Amino acid sequence: MQKAWLQVVIGAFFEVIWVIGLKHAGSLIEWSTTVIAIFISFYLLIIAGERIPVGTAYAVFVGLGTAGTVLSDILFFDDPFNVIKILLIALLLFGVIGLKLVTDERGVE
Amino acid sequence: MYWFSLILAGLFEMTGVLSINYVHQKKNWQSILLLIVAFSLSFIFLAIAMEKLPMSTAYAIWTGIGAAGSAVVGILWFNERTSLLRILFILMIISSTIGLKIIT
Repeated sequence: MQKAWLQVVIGAFFEVIWVIGLKHAGSLIEWSTTVIAIFISFYLLIIAGERIPVGTAYAVFVGLGTAGTVLSDILFFDDPFNVIKILLIALLLFGVIGLKLVTDERGVE
Repeated sequence: MYWFSLILAGLFEMTGVLSINYVHQKKNWQSILLLIVAFSLSFIFLAIAMEKLPMSTAYAIWTGIGAAGSAVVGILWFNERTSLLRILFILMIISSTIGLKIIT
């Protein structure tokens, strides 16, 4: 089960990679890296989902992915540090994570 | 046009997320193909949206549409229980999406 959570974390790391790629890739190498990162991140999420509840894994995955993307945008791509934007994204994330955590695999609470 | 592309991306993401469970159930090539096609279209539309929209905003909203959308589909099509909490979280996603659109 530990291994499954590690897969989620690493999957989220690759998620951030492909999100950056989707926006910024230009060359063939960059696009190929993006596509590979997509496959790796989703593969890790899917196999993690065989050991831990998919909804929970996805919630953590998406939380880390969003946090990583926001940080990357600010640190590497000069996105202005806009407090309102970050609060809104945090609220959105809270909604996504909350939704995934109050539902189990079969949609029953 | 870019916001519309983002919504389309979210809808296909939602289809893809729903198909993950389908792959676990069936484990056949049809379910895997559905997964790949749904996510591929989702990424293509997301890439288009990201031509104009900020990376983190687009990604967050895309995720939100996928999550809220699959919850709504679950309630409408798969007889999942509605609860105040779920509706509240869906409203959080919708309102923050609208807020992000306004400030972008």
